[in-house]
Order: sequence, then C-alpha cells, then structure tokens
Amino acid sequence: MQIYATFESSNYIELAITKLEEKGIKDIFAVPLDNRTEERKIFDTIHQSDGVTFVGKGMGLAVIFSVIGASRGFVLEWGPIYWGLIGAISGFALGVLIDLYIYKVYKKKKRVLKGKNSEIILIIDCDESQGEVVEGVLWEHLALGLAKIKNNQEQTNRIIENV
Amino acid sequence: MDNFTNTNKNRRYKAHVSIFGTTQLHLKSPYMVAFWSVAFPGFGHLLLSKYIRGMLLFIWELFINQKTHLNSAMVYSFMGDIESAKAVLDVSMMHLYIPVYLFAIWDSYRTTVDLNKIYLLAERENAPFNTFSIGALEINYLDKKNPIVAFLCSLTIPSVGQLYINRFVLGFFHLVMTVIIVYYSHLLEAIHYLLLGDISKSTSVLDAQWLFYFPSFYFFTIYDAYTNTVENNKLFEREQKNYLKKHYQPAGFTIMKGNKVK
Repeated sequence: MQIYATFESSNYIELAITKLEEKGIKDIFAVPLDNRTEERKIFDTIHQSDGVTFVGKGMGLAVIFSVIGASRGFVLEWGPIYWGLIGAISGFALGVLIDLYIYKVYKKKKRVLKGKNSEIILIIDCDESQGEVVEGVLWEHLALGLAKIKNNQEQTNRIIENV
Repeated sequence: MDNFTNTNKNRRYKAHVSIFGTTQLHLKSPYMVAFWSVAFPGFGHLLLSKYIRGMLLFIWELFINQKTHLNSAMVYSFMGDIESAKAVLDVSMMHLYIPVYLFAIWDSYRTTVDLNKIYLLAERENAPFNTFSIGALEINYLDKKNPIVAFLCSLTIPSVGQLYINRFVLGFFHLVMTVIIVYYSHLLEAIHYLLLGDISKSTSVLDAQWLFYFPSFYFFTIYDAYTNTVENNKLFEREQKNYLKKHYQPAGFTIMKGNKVK
C-alpha cells in the first residue's frame, strides 16, 4: 500500500518522517514542489512570503513624516508626540498605498511568486497492516491532505480472503 | 556544537547559523539600504549583517550629532526658525560629519550591489552550511517564524523583534540604544503627561536633540525584524527542500498503480 500526503514545509514534516522511521517504515519518498505564479499576498505570513515586502516604503515614509511632524509639533498646538504619531501613521499608510498601487496596477503582468507556497508531497510505501498507523502519524503532524492507494491485486486478494 | 564543519571545498556560502544568530545573504534593494543609511548612518550596514561597521557608524553618528547639535538645527529648520538653526550648530565639528555621512550611504549602496552578486553565486553553488548550533550560551537553528509577530513585537520596544528571530547582536545593541535614547529624550515622561492631558508640559519636558534619534531608530528595528523573519523563513524552506531531495528520494522507489481507498 502507498500513502500520499501533502505538507507545508515546516519542522512538522521532519517530525513525521522521523516518527515513521522509528516505527520501522523506511520506504519514504519526498517531492518538494516548485512554486507557481500567483496573486500576490499583501502581507507575508508564516506560510507565504514572496520576497517583496510591503513594509519597506511604509517604514521609510513613516520615518520622514514623523520627523517632520514631530518638529512642527514643537510649534503646533498638539505637541511633538501627537504630530510625530500622525506623521508616522500617515507615512506608513502612504507607503503601503504606493506599494499596493505599484503591484496591483503597474506590475500586474509580471508577477512571479519568488518565495514559497511550497508544499511537499510525501509518499510512503508500507504494509497494509501499517496503513492506519502511518495515516495517524501523518495527520498528527499536520498533513494538509492524504490518500491511500491500494494495488488492485491486493484488493482482490482481500476480497477472496473475506469470501 | 554545530551540525556542519567547513570543509573548505566550497567557494561561497549563503548563510551561517551560529549561537548569536542567523547570518544570511539575500537579495536586497540597494536603494532601500541606502535610504536607511540616509535615515541614520549605520542602519544600511546593519541590514547587510555588517554589524561592526554598522555599530561603529551608529555610535559615530550619535557622538558627532551630539557635538554639532545637528538634530536641534534640523528641528529649528523645520519650524522655520533659520536663525536659531544657524546659532545652535557647532561649526567646528560640522565638516567632520558630512564626509562620514556620505561615505556610509555610498558604502552601504555599493556593498548591497556586491552582496547581491555574491548571493546569486552562492545560491547557484548551493553549498551546505551550518543550520544548527547549540552551545553553553544559546541555541539557534533554522526555523519558521511569523513575520506579523516580529512586526508586532518590534512595535512594543525596539530590540524585541530582533530577539524573536534570534538576531542576538542587534537585539542587544538596540536594547542598550533604546534605553539611552528614551532616557535622554524624556520620551516616556512626555507620553505620561500626554496621557494626563497636559500637552504643554509634555512638549516642554522633551529634549528635541535626543528625541530625533527615535523615529528612524524605531522604524528601522521594525523593518529589520520583519524583513529578516521573511528571509529566514525562505532560507529554512530552501534548506529543507535540499535535505529532503538528498535523503528521501531513493533510487528504487516505484509508484504503485491502484485505486484510492478509504
């Protein structure tokens, strides 16, 4: 029997593999997938990061605006801290908007997902009796999807046994 | 204890994991790095993991700015009070400032361009590197961390985001600098009075000369923590892919034809 499972790349997949090896299952095949072009995510998450940060321009403009805002704040009514904060927030927002505009409008055609979205396919060859155990281990270590494949010959044998 | 000892058989390495942090080469925009050097000399080099150079330039900037009162002059200029700006500047040291400032910007720019080339070469060579380090003082290894958490950590106190991703050298440096800048600028006192609703007291307690180190410093720590979390995650994924390909693709493995069962 062969069991297919997909994983996100993280330490869980290595935990799953070593656990299976502990149980004596050695016939393991891993296929790390390459990435495809995809709609860009605005903020990188732990699962997804495409190499373009939407924080860069925001932070830069936040520095400039908050410095000027805080300076002006010494003569304005609300004082340097409020004006510094207003400068920082509006600078950051402006930076993110500029990045959004560039990636949504300008570079729409050229998008290539650089970083990840990487999933890994794991194929485990095991005895039918171990199927349940392997399945349990894989689910436990956060497999995204899982399928068990049985050879037709194996199936017929089983049907004959049952009869 | 490391899991890899350099065999000197490779020409370039794209990363190194030591107990003090994960150092890696990755593609950066030279303009972004130059911008951070403009905001504060040294920041560009810190982004490039050239810590000694970065910290030297940072401390130099702090020293020379305190001597020439450049921040105060800047505040007066933005307030439109050019006479006070002229009066507060210390001319004797001012001309020492400019060459180093421009050097920091230029040097961080050209280093980024160089390191981007080195990165591409190292990436193509794909040499094995140390990925796990355990010692008496610390443990560090490649792992995935959440960039949003790094961002939020950095929002609290500069240096916490760096500690989250084990960027120990910068975390320590930023923590010391945060204490110094916050103490001398009286920033937290000013915030205290703002919360009490006393805006004029809050403004008067602030020290403008010290306060104006804070914005670029604060936003830099956020930017640094966030981008390095993303890059560390990418490094982890590439390294894991290499590992799986090397160890879990046995030659004799055949795919079974059959039916999917429950």
